[in-house]
Amino acid sequence: MIPEWLIEKDNYVPKEEKNLYIEKSIFSLIKIVSIIRQNKSKDKLVYSINPTLKLITTILNIVFISISRNFIYLSILDIYALGNLLLMEKTSRKRILIKSLVFPFITLIALIPSMFYGNIYNSLVLFQKIMTTILLMNLLSHNTKWSEISKSLKLIFIPDIFIWIMDITIKYIVLLGEHSINLLYALKLRSVGITSNKYNSLTGIMGNMFIKSYKMSEEMYHAMECRCFVGEYTKKVDFTLKKYDYIYIIINILLISLFIYSN
Amino acid sequence: MHIPDNYLSPSTCATFGAIMIPIWRKASIKVRTEITRQKMPLLGVAAAFSFLIMMFNIPLPGGTSGHAIGGALVAILLGPYSAVFAVTIALAIQALFFGDGGILAFGVNCFNMAFIMPFSAYYIFKFMKKIFPDKKGEYLGTLLGGYISVNIAALFAAIEFGVQPLLFKDTLGFPLYSPYGLSVSIPAMTIPHLLVVGILEGIITLGAYNYVKKASPDIIYKENVNKMNPFYIILGILILATPLGLLASGTAWGEWGMEEIKNFTGFIPKGMKNGVNYTAPIPDYSFGNLKEYIGYIISAVVGVTIILIIFKVFAKINLKKNTKGE
Repeated sequence: MIPEWLIEKDNYVPKEEKNLYIEKSIFSLIKIVSIIRQNKSKDKLVYSINPTLKLITTILNIVFISISRNFIYLSILDIYALGNLLLMEKTSRKRILIKSLVFPFITLIALIPSMFYGNIYNSLVLFQKIMTTILLMNLLSHNTKWSEISKSLKLIFIPDIFIWIMDITIKYIVLLGEHSINLLYALKLRSVGITSNKYNSLTGIMGNMFIKSYKMSEEMYHAMECRCFVGEYTKKVDFTLKKYDYIYIIINILLISLFIYSN
Repeated sequence: MHIPDNYLSPSTCATFGAIMIPIWRKASIKVRTEITRQKMPLLGVAAAFSFLIMMFNIPLPGGTSGHAIGGALVAILLGPYSAVFAVTIALAIQALFFGDGGILAFGVNCFNMAFIMPFSAYYIFKFMKKIFPDKKGEYLGTLLGGYISVNIAALFAAIEFGVQPLLFKDTLGFPLYSPYGLSVSIPAMTIPHLLVVGILEGIITLGAYNYVKKASPDIIYKENVNKMNPFYIILGILILATPLGLLASGTAWGEWGMEEIKNFTGFIPKGMKNGVNYTAPIPDYSFGNLKEYIGYIISAVVGVTIILIIFKVFAKINLKKNTKGE
């Protein structure tokens, strides 16, 4: 028997409250997960260049950019980075461009007072350097498989254990991220009207995430043990070069010699 | 607080990178002894956790929202050394794959967020627990640990920004990197952290700690008997204080150069004129273009390391002799 008061229609309009923080959190988590999940085995040219090569040249270019004070060299590298951007997929092109413009422009605004004191050349150089660096870094992360990048880190003397932990981290960001997205959805469904204990529920999710991560790592250890893992982890860097890789090397040697010539 | 590339000079970045290497080493040794192999994967998962903490938007009064860093929380839950590892990896992933924080500035960012923050948070937490042994101390410790540690980290970042115009100028005297001095950078960084970010960090740390404490208290980090050797702390303070000598005018007594002797006495003793002429590997404690201050600190670090190595070698030789004798 359903009691009568349950059948009666009720016009309840909950008082509105800004619950934007839940949506924002869900959104930023989904963004992270989708960036990691992104399919990077596209047939476009830049995607197929040897990842180790890409990592080394990107880091070298960033080092040289930060040392150089020559406007022409910096402009040429800017053009090089933008040229690389043109070779990217349409969707990631837009994303990279927005990301690498927003931050430098904020910096430029922050530099305006300093420019009034006559510090114009240095400020513009700084703006250009920041933009090119962010562009290069984002290009690398969007056109190279992350596992390949972390593998190549071995070449710059990063120990295997560090690379191993980093690989685990990337995988578990997705798993834990999805877990917390679900918790946040549950929170969103339950927070109708005004909620007074926002902080409690949010920190509860974080605490839950920690316990979950603890359990996951235990499970992972058991899985590893079952597969005879003894704690040693070695990776080999693959360094087979193709035709396009040589072209890439030549372009970057030219850029480096330009740096040496211009400074 | 993620410092991007080119805000700081390459030499500053290199210095901080060099400072971080022994810290990472120590952390990896410590973690290996503290954590059983069974828990090794925990480091990776914990890094994922500390990465995701930064993705949570927390409502702020006034309708906006911000995010916490989580360095304090990880330090209290997992211990400071594991936190160094976890936050370092989270920062590495952010720098490499998400373009947040620079590649060259990685050492600086790690110093602020993966070293200063977890360690200060953990020791504040421990200290408060000692003063108030009941539950209140624990809560106060997590709250203050989060609040103070994020402020200390922000202060360090502000100092790193602020010294740039003092140290690095072009020929016209214009700053080469971040142009604002300490008088601008410190208030710009610390005021928002003191008023908003710190409080957020404190509340998050307290809330999440509370939850874990209630739900599964046995997974929270408990320290083994371990005392920080005060000798190393004093050594560190002394190294950082070496540039103070630059403030004093004049040279150390008895360490005069030829010129100074001439100024004092009016002549150079014959025997000294063509006497000892020694070229040190680090002349005048300076490295080429590097500014004096940094040169001094690096020289101090190098000096202390050499001395420590020599002593260790001697100790080993001694040990061998002793064991052979037996």
